[in-house]
Amino acid sequence: MGSKYFHAIQILDENCTGCTACVRVCPTEAIRVRNRKAYIDPNRCVDCGNCVTACEFHAIIPSSDPLDIIQNYKYKVAIISSSFFGQFTEDVSYAAAKQAVLKLGFDEVSEEAMVTDFMISIIRDYVRKNRDKRPILSSNCPAVVRLIQVKYPSLLPNILHQEAPMSILTRYLREKISKEKNLADEDIGIFLIVPCVAHVTAVHQPEGAYKHLQDGAFSTGMIYGKVRDILKDIQNNPEEIDTYPHGLTWALSGVQAELVDTDDIRALSVNGIDNVMDILSRVENHYLDQYDYIVLRSCTNGCVGGCLNVENPFVAMSRIKKMSKEGEDKPIHVEELEKLHAEGEFSVSPLAPRPIMELDKDIKKAIKKMKKINEFLTMLPGLNCSACGSPTCYALAEDIVLGKASLDDCVVLKRNNPANEEE
Amino acid sequence: MAEYWYIAEGFEERIKDFQSRKTEAEVNLDFEIPEKDFNAAGKGSSELKDLLKRLGVNSEILRRIAVASYEAEINVAAHSKGGVMYSAVYDDLIHIRFQDDGPGIEDIDQAMVPGFSTADDLVRELGFGAGLGLPNIKKNSDAMHIVSAKGSPTLLELFIYIS
Repeated sequence: MGSKYFHAIQILDENCTGCTACVRVCPTEAIRVRNRKAYIDPNRCVDCGNCVTACEFHAIIPSSDPLDIIQNYKYKVAIISSSFFGQFTEDVSYAAAKQAVLKLGFDEVSEEAMVTDFMISIIRDYVRKNRDKRPILSSNCPAVVRLIQVKYPSLLPNILHQEAPMSILTRYLREKISKEKNLADEDIGIFLIVPCVAHVTAVHQPEGAYKHLQDGAFSTGMIYGKVRDILKDIQNNPEEIDTYPHGLTWALSGVQAELVDTDDIRALSVNGIDNVMDILSRVENHYLDQYDYIVLRSCTNGCVGGCLNVENPFVAMSRIKKMSKEGEDKPIHVEELEKLHAEGEFSVSPLAPRPIMELDKDIKKAIKKMKKINEFLTMLPGLNCSACGSPTCYALAEDIVLGKASLDDCVVLKRNNPANEEE
Repeated sequence: MAEYWYIAEGFEERIKDFQSRKTEAEVNLDFEIPEKDFNAAGKGSSELKDLLKRLGVNSEILRRIAVASYEAEINVAAHSKGGVMYSAVYDDLIHIRFQDDGPGIEDIDQAMVPGFSTADDLVRELGFGAGLGLPNIKKNSDAMHIVSAKGSPTLLELFIYIS
């Protein structure tokens, strides 16, 4: 381990060819290839999942929990991410897919879409009470929260300091179930079915959580096969189950901003981690102060683009849009949620920075290192080929100065040096 | 040539000291700003921001530098025939010079009035030209110096102390 940060991504050395595809797609430059094997710096990784998608050799594997851990609990609850319902062919109904998850062995199944409307009211309330911190940045994407911690720490006070919908639902269900079923907290197992590695990480290492939240996270991709098997039976013998089609759109980028946007709140929506970084940089420059609320999602089109999903993000988006127009939501007990909100149950403690950019704590030493980096940079070819295992020539120069690499790692320099050819 | 100086209260001595010591900068970063190239404009200040993050500059100061340098960079792209942004990092301050190729500022005092703008239609269509550029730079800088005249190049310097 060697780091205080948990990550839901692991590298299988035996599959890694050292091709550097992952190195080039990492937004925080967290990956290096040394001795032909990739290595992720746990301090820099934000669990965006870009490397998981980029790896062609199944060497970067998302880790989520094995399904049988639910057996450790007397009462088992699944909370499903809205993106899940966009993963099936059109003959599979929303209700059937939900029913199939229940039959995986849960006692109760709930879903993110239930609390979408309530979440919108929390966000509006928060934005109105924190006008001095304009713009407020959304907190529901765990990769974005971590990205801000490592690369844009000056924006931490702008983050919406409230739990995301699935965690709000977790708090609500814990209270409700322990009262109704007369069960102790440790007997109730609450699990998320998630579209991305960032959500798995957030379950195992929640940022700013005051209270006990979930007990595990299952990847959509991992349970998909089992769910499809169960679906064959269910489609022949459908059973009634509550659905919340209107709330499903939470999985789609753009919709949350549209819902929050109102007379006195102007909202902006961004998806894809490169766009997210561009927008955060502009927020830092105070160039987006005209917005009251900005929704930021690391994946293409929002959670439907998560790397643990099976369906293409655009197809999944289209299906969810279609489903969201069919049927009515079952009314929920908003009073209970409002009571918990008023008691501060959904608050998050102030988020702390995880700075990765600093070369040194002492600014004078940092300047010295920067000068050395610039010296090495002039020696390097400037091709940014990543053949050395660092993402760019600048990153290699930085690695050399920080003692993590040497000039010999540059493949181009080696080739052009006649002394090496004779060896 | 007309000259304009603004020095925030309490920084008079430090600016005087800086002018007289003529030391070489620790790190330099130069950036070309082409005329009316709004795709590239902002890259110079964005690179400077990354550099300052690496040096561990305090995040509030960093944001002031980001705002001031971005505004100034956009100003050069929007109003001049192009120019260069020269950033110089010292261990106690950041000194940024914007040197353009004209056409100069006719009345600097008027340009300092919030809301005053000479931006053309193209610039306004792109969402710039609200007349807040120079006042915003001033607000975020510890000192600011402009040398210009109608028909001449403009030099804008800004100084922000990091310690």
